[in-house]
Amino acid sequence: MSEFATLASPYSMPAALHGDVDLTDPEAQTRSRALNQFLAGVELKAFKIAQAALRHEDDALDAVQDAMLQLARAYADRPAQEWKPLFYRILENRIRDMQRRRTVRGRVIAWLPFRGDEDDEEPDPIAQAPSPEPQPPRRLELEQAVGALEKALGGLPRRQQQAFLLRTLEGLDVAQTAAAMGCSEGSVKTHYFRALQALRARLGEFYL
Amino acid sequence: MSAVNEPQTDFERNARVVLEQSLSRIDGRTRSRLNQARHAALEAAGARRTGWRSLTLMPTVGAAAAALLVAVVLWQRQPAGEPPVVEPQHAAEDMDLLADSEALELLDGWDGPFYEWATAQTDNVQSDG
Repeated sequence: MSEFATLASPYSMPAALHGDVDLTDPEAQTRSRALNQFLAGVELKAFKIAQAALRHEDDALDAVQDAMLQLARAYADRPAQEWKPLFYRILENRIRDMQRRRTVRGRVIAWLPFRGDEDDEEPDPIAQAPSPEPQPPRRLELEQAVGALEKALGGLPRRQQQAFLLRTLEGLDVAQTAAAMGCSEGSVKTHYFRALQALRARLGEFYL
Repeated sequence: MSAVNEPQTDFERNARVVLEQSLSRIDGRTRSRLNQARHAALEAAGARRTGWRSLTLMPTVGAAAAALLVAVVLWQRQPAGEPPVVEPQHAAEDMDLLADSEALELLDGWDGPFYEWATAQTDNVQSDG
């Protein structure tokens, strides 16, 4: 978590600078600051979870953005400890909607006679910019491990993937994961256990 | 995070390290867009809060506006100048005239010049006397 805070800090902005926050209302300022802190704490992980599910960066960004907006509009006044399961529930719904839309769009595009190649775009120099994170000594080893895990995660059924990422990456407990996934705690345990089994079988017990 | 949620096995611990490492590989463009999305969400939350406060003030503002409107309408409908004053004596004469059925019959066949002449004669007789 501390590592993440280091990552997020260069991009953080004091809540009081946001245009619509009433500077004369200390409660609103506190609320806005808490929401900013919460969103800054989940945005990278949420993006990673959405990316694993959607396998498309822009779609994953859209899903996270929508989830942030919906949480802010509809649930900003709820107690802060409810935000995380709510946020991931909203994100999961957005991911599911996008997957459905993509399925329909894929069927329609399959019928079109002429299709443009989406990979013709020029590489974005900003996208190529190196991460601000300092280079770890085991970088290459970790890079390979990240690639292997992401590939293995991509092969998991959606619910197993979700349970694994919410529990392992985001650190939600079983009850929070169940709330985020909209299922029972028993289902979460089953999905998580099966995900672990599948990943172990693919990567080995000590793959790092 | 509580100890209950900590990964139990080496595999889970390794997986967490690798996943956290994967976060550091997220490029600058994506981080920038996530940052923008967060600020947009915060502004949306602020706007909603401001809007909600406006809604709570709406009944008070509406009542004040309605009262002002009624006051303006009543003030404009009032006739300009002083209202006509009916003196009690003339009022009694008017009542006598209305109550007198003969007077009303006279009004039916109104002959203005004759009555003016008769009134003048009466006045002359009274002044001579």
